This record gives sequence, C-alpha cells and structure tokens, in this order.
Amino acid sequence: MRATPWICRNCLSRIARPANRLRSSRFQSTASTSESVPPALLSRARSIASEHKQLTEKLADGFDTRAAKKLGEYSAVVTALKDWEKAKESVTELTSLIHDPTTDPELLALASDDLDATRTQLANASSNLTTSLVPIHPFAHLPCLLEIRPGAGGSEAAIFAGDLLRMYQAFCNRNDFRSNLLKYENVNGTQEAGIPLSEAVLEIDSENAYGVFRSEAGVHRVQRVPATETKGRTHTSAASVHVLPSLQESSLGENDIDDPESDYYIDPKEVKLEVMRARGAGGQHVNTTESAVRLTHIPTNTSVSMQDSRSQPKNKEKAWVLLRSRLAQLRRDKREEEMVAMRRSVVGVARMGRGDKVRTYNWGQQRVTDHRSGTTVHDLDDVMQGGQTLSKVMESVRTWLMEKDVEALLAEDAPAREGKK
Amino acid sequence: MPRLPNSLLRKARNINSLLPALLGPCRDLTSAQNELRWLREHVHKEAKRRSKKGDTLAKADLLKTLVECRAKGFPLQYLLGSEFFGDLEIECRPGVLIPRPETAASVTHLAKLIGSAQNLPTELRVLDLCTGTGCIPLLFQNEFRSLRDNIALRLLGVDISRKAIALAIRNRRRLHQSNKDVYKTATAFMLADVLSNPFADSAIDSPLPLKSALNHRRLPAFWDILISNPPYISPDAFRTTTARSVRGFEPRLALVPPQEAGSSHVEKGDTFYPAIFQAAKDTEVKVVLLEVADLDQALRVARMAQMRNFDGVEIWCDQPDQVNDSIPEASHGIPIVGQGNGRSVVCWQGIGAEWLEKKAASIESRPMKEVLEQTLAPRFELERCADDTVRLPRFLFRARTQLVDEWGLPVKWSTQGDKKKS
Repeated sequence: MRATPWICRNCLSRIARPANRLRSSRFQSTASTSESVPPALLSRARSIASEHKQLTEKLADGFDTRAAKKLGEYSAVVTALKDWEKAKESVTELTSLIHDPTTDPELLALASDDLDATRTQLANASSNLTTSLVPIHPFAHLPCLLEIRPGAGGSEAAIFAGDLLRMYQAFCNRNDFRSNLLKYENVNGTQEAGIPLSEAVLEIDSENAYGVFRSEAGVHRVQRVPATETKGRTHTSAASVHVLPSLQESSLGENDIDDPESDYYIDPKEVKLEVMRARGAGGQHVNTTESAVRLTHIPTNTSVSMQDSRSQPKNKEKAWVLLRSRLAQLRRDKREEEMVAMRRSVVGVARMGRGDKVRTYNWGQQRVTDHRSGTTVHDLDDVMQGGQTLSKVMESVRTWLMEKDVEALLAEDAPAREGKK
Repeated sequence: MPRLPNSLLRKARNINSLLPALLGPCRDLTSAQNELRWLREHVHKEAKRRSKKGDTLAKADLLKTLVECRAKGFPLQYLLGSEFFGDLEIECRPGVLIPRPETAASVTHLAKLIGSAQNLPTELRVLDLCTGTGCIPLLFQNEFRSLRDNIALRLLGVDISRKAIALAIRNRRRLHQSNKDVYKTATAFMLADVLSNPFADSAIDSPLPLKSALNHRRLPAFWDILISNPPYISPDAFRTTTARSVRGFEPRLALVPPQEAGSSHVEKGDTFYPAIFQAAKDTEVKVVLLEVADLDQALRVARMAQMRNFDGVEIWCDQPDQVNDSIPEASHGIPIVGQGNGRSVVCWQGIGAEWLEKKAASIESRPMKEVLEQTLAPRFELERCADDTVRLPRFLFRARTQLVDEWGLPVKWSTQGDKKKS
C-alpha cells in the first residue's frame, strides 16, 4: 500500500517540470518572437526576391511600365530581406565564435559585447521584414461592429455572453478605443442590465479597430460551474462573437467626390471623354451646334452621354454627375454582396456549437486557451477584466492570422507561377 | 452631300412636322431634335419677355419662321442670339464670326497652364488679335480668375470690324454685370488693322495699324501673351470645304484673309500669320497661341515660328487637355499635343517656357558643342583639334564638370586662350 494519497498524472508531471513551463512562456514573450520570422513569410520573401531579380534583368533589356511598378513594390521587401539575412548571419557567426573553445578571451569579450547589438539589429530587421510582407486586410483601418450572442448552453451561455461584453468594454476602455453600445437586449427582451444577455452590438469607433478585433470573431467556449447550477457540476457553454467592419454611410456622401474612399470618387484617368467632333476640317470651316458629350468609365465599361444643353461644359458636368451616381450605385451593390459573403464566412450558421470554438475560458483551472494560435494563459481574472493578458492572447491570434494570410498568398501565387513557366 | 433618305424624313415627320426642315442643315435626327428643342425654349423665353412688356407673341408662328430660317442654313447661334464658349454665353449677331468650341478648348487649356504657372508678372497682359465677339479675352479672364486672383490682368481685344468691336463691348458689359467679383482686371477692345503697314499711307477713316493704335490709345507697348484666331481659310477652301451656313451667313471678312498678289493658292490662307508674328515681336510677347485650319497649316505656321527664333513650338489639337492617342506625337520635330485635328500653334520664348512648364529647350536640346561654338566663336578663337575635341578658353575651366560630365563634351584646355583676346 502506498502511504501517499493518489495524485493524478497531470499534476505530477506539472510538479516535475516547472522549468519547462518557464521556457515555454519565454517563447511567447515579445523579445524572442520578434527575432524569428515565420517560415511561411520567409519563403515568400525569398520568392519575391527571386522575382525581383528577374524583373531587374527584364527591365535592363527594355522599359515596361507594369514591370517597373512591380519592381518598386518589391524593392522594400528585398532590402528588408537583405538586412535580415545580414543580421542573421552575423548573429550566427558571433554565437559560433562564443561557443568555440579555441577563441581567445579578448575576442570572446568583444564578440559577446557585439552580440547584444546584433541581436537588436536582427529583431529590427525581422520586424521590418514582416511588416513589409504581410498583406494588410482591406478593411483593417476601419472601425468595427462587435456582435455578441449566446450560443449553446441556455441561460449560462447568456450570462457568459454578458461577461464577454463587459470584457470587451473594459478592454476598449483600457486601450483607448471609443466604444458605443448600439444594441443591448437581455433574455427578457428589455434593456435592463444584470439579466442574462440575448444580443449586444458594440460599435468600436476608432481607426484600425477592425484590424485589432478581427481576431475575436468566432465561438467562445466557457467551462465553469454556472451561477444557476445547484449541484456544483461544471458546464460547457458557448457564445458567438461576430466582428464586422463598419463602413460609415455618412462619409460616403455626394459632397466628397475628391475623396478616393468615397463611392462617388472616380479617377479621371479611368474615364474616356468623347465629344462630337466636326467631320472634316472643323474650326472656322463649320459651325456646329453639336454639344453632345460622352463619358466612358473604362474599368467597368459604363458609359453616359449627355446632349441636353447647348453648352459643352455644362453637358460634361451633367454627364459626370450621372456617371458618378451610376458607379456609386454599382459599388454599393457590390459592397453589399461582399458584406453578405463576409457575414456568412465569419461564423456559418451551422458552426455555432461548442465544438467549433476559437477560445476556451476555463474557470476551474483559471485558464484561457486560444485554439487557433495554441496560446494558453492562466490569469483568467485579468482576461475577463480586459487587461494585459487579453491583449497578449489577441496579439498571438493576430500573428496566427497573419501567417495564415501569408500561407494563403503563397498558395495563390503557386499556381500563377506554374502557369508562367 | 448625300441626299437625305425618304425613310429618315418620314420618321422625322412622324415625330414632329417641323423636324424634316431642320434635317437639312443638321443631317441627323438627334441633333435636329436638339435644335428644335432649343428653338422652342428660345421662343418660350422670348414670349415671356414680350408679355412682361405687355406685348403678345404668336409662339407657333415665331417658331415656324425660325425653323424656316434655319432650314435655309441660317446659323442657329444667330437665331438664338448667343453661343456657349467654354463656360460663358457669348452674344452673337450676324456680321460677326460665331465662336467655335475648338477655340474655347485651346484658350481654356492655355489659361489653365498660365494660371498655375510660377513667376508671373504682377500684371499679366493678354493681347487678342482678330477678337470678333471678344470671346477669347473674356474666356481667358474667366478661366484665369478661377485659378488666380492675386495677379492683375490687362486684356485687349483688337479687330478691324466696327460691328465686332461694338458686340465685344456689349458682351463684356453683360458678362461683367453677371459676374461682380471681377476686380484688378481691365478688358478693353480696340479698332485696329493688324495687316496694315504703319509706315504706309492710309485713308483717313480706315482703322489705324496696330502699333499706332496702341500708341494713340496710350496702351502699353509690351505684352505677355498673344492669342489670335485670324481668318485662315484660303479662297479655294472657302468655296469647297466650308459648311453652307458658314459660307452663306458668316462674314467673309472673318474667314478669308485679304489676298496678296503672287502667293500660291495654298498659302493664301496664311496671310495673317507673318503679320501676327511681327506684332508678337514688336510687343515682345512671351507666349503666342494661334488657331489654324489643319495640321498642314499648323506645320507651315510652326516652321514660320521656328524661323523667327522662338525658343519652342508646339502644335495643339482640338482637345489639348486629352492624351494624344492617334496622330504621331511629333511631326518634323514639332511635338503634337492632344486629340483631334491639328488646331493651334503655340510658341514661346524667354520666361514663357517657364509658364508653360517647358524646359529651356534652347540649350538642352541642342548639342552643347554647337551652342558653345555659336556663342563663343565670335568672341574667342576656338581651336579645333584633330580628334574632334574643342579647346576652350581657360575661364570656362570651373564649369568643366558640367561640360564634361553632363553634356559629354570632349574638351581640352587651351593654355593661352585667355591671352588671345586680352
């Protein structure tokens, strides 16, 4: 018979490996992650560098506007990659010098002095490389709407949804995001607080909000003993979070036709202007009353002609107004389609259960795990108060999303390059 | 001219009984419909004006008379009494040339270029020869003022026809009334003869030559910009290529230049240009914009300008603000700008190049060696070496980096170059 009480294997192993945990948490710390570049990014950078080289050779033979433009886009990546490789090389050289037993002590001192500076250089270079490579989400700069709804799990899910809402509100307050509760409805259908939540829409009205909160979309799972539970059993419930970019209609008015963001903006270079030219000589030879003007927007092949007024400039003005409103209509329709597609893709109707979770909040273990990036943190209270720990988790998810984006880009590029060959 | 098909006439009659008559001058249904609409609007306006005076007007009768006139080829602009020239509505009367949209396009383009230029004088002086309705100075002022209001403008329109001057003055008054914010602008119209020689004897009541008229009116002798849409149609072309409404109803004085004996029939249209270039020289203008009939005449005029030592010459087409897509971009070394037929010739000298954002082409486009030889040779003895290099005087030594590196000029340094002349 054993004298000691039974202890579960997990707990034993945790006692046995405190050092392990330390190291693993250091892996997540900012200092070490910024030094390394995700392999997907690195391979993309290399492929861009090789393409850059080809383009340079091509341009040496003859000028091509498109190639030159592409070259300009790539050059930032190529220089960043060069810097990074240089820094990486010197770091490996220095480390090998330090580890080499035959190095004389004077050189060793010099090398170890240098190592720190080179490390910071490498960190800078790799952050440069990542920023130059990562495709920025087209809506990342926009404010966003965060919608929280309880999923599977009945009233416990509704209570958890309320917790999530408070968590995000606290996060916004701490990080200086302007937030605004657009809609709040509890399970009774009223707006009274303190009763389990049935739906809430939080508008985060700061720039770049969509880029920050994009990582939050998905099903959040909670494992705890609910307040409603009488027998002390742990329940697993879920709440869903939708994050949508908020395209403000007010900013797309007819007034700001010079603003490229506006629906009414048209690049004058994309429009072909045709006026009715006199047949033959023109000038003093003929005396035309034709004042018709036709505008054609080349990318969309939309054309507008106008001949109401005897004054050509007036016809032109009217034609521009008409062309603008037609294109704006087209763009609005297209954007609405995109929004519908995005809403479907964020969380499909079928994927709202406990299984398709993106993150788990476990009260029993005081743990929060994000299932996409594989990050686990143990300060649940700080997370639920929207503190530093939550930002850490969100940061890790953003990194993961970025890597996914780059992988998708690589996958997109691969067939294109095959095709070229 | 091809006959109008019966089907078209029938179709027009089904729409409106007045349309078939308008198809004659218009040639197609949509423009005939447009003209009918404009005529009808004019009749309504006229009727309203009359009823204010307590008079009455038979609208249908007036419309019918107007359509009949138009069917004979009488220009619509004379019937309606105005024509749109750029953004302006210019009054038109028989006896004065109707402003053309092509002229508006090139004047607008020029005004935009000048309006956004640096280094303009505090008073910009614009001279328009053969002004007609006065449309060019009025439009230039309108376009220029929309861009700049810190520069005073002085505009002068010159014409030989008393009718034209009277109409131009009327147009100025009307436009300045509707447009109150015109300040620091002086627009004048003056009767003068561009072609006549100031030293020749002239009849007592004939218009003064340009130079004498400027003196007489105590107007400045020196100007900055010269614009002109002179008569440029040769008598042959007048008979064959002009439209019927132009030939029959617009003043021949404004279309066909007076003939000099002995000029070939092609060049009979070019009579005005040498006189205008002479005026440009006398008034020391920096930019000249001349309207011409077609690309051939444009090339003839451009060559004339080159002979007169302008720093640069360009040909503008009907739409100079559009990108050239069809015609070759240069002909005989003269760049062609814009879309459409060759329409005007632009030349510049001195600071005019800067206003039009042209490089000082005089030095950079010509081979440096040639320039140096031309400018230095009269004053210094340049030694030519066997290996095609030039020995330059040593005072140019400080400019050697530019000479050798930028212009690739092979240079050797004379040891005694300075002594020769000093």
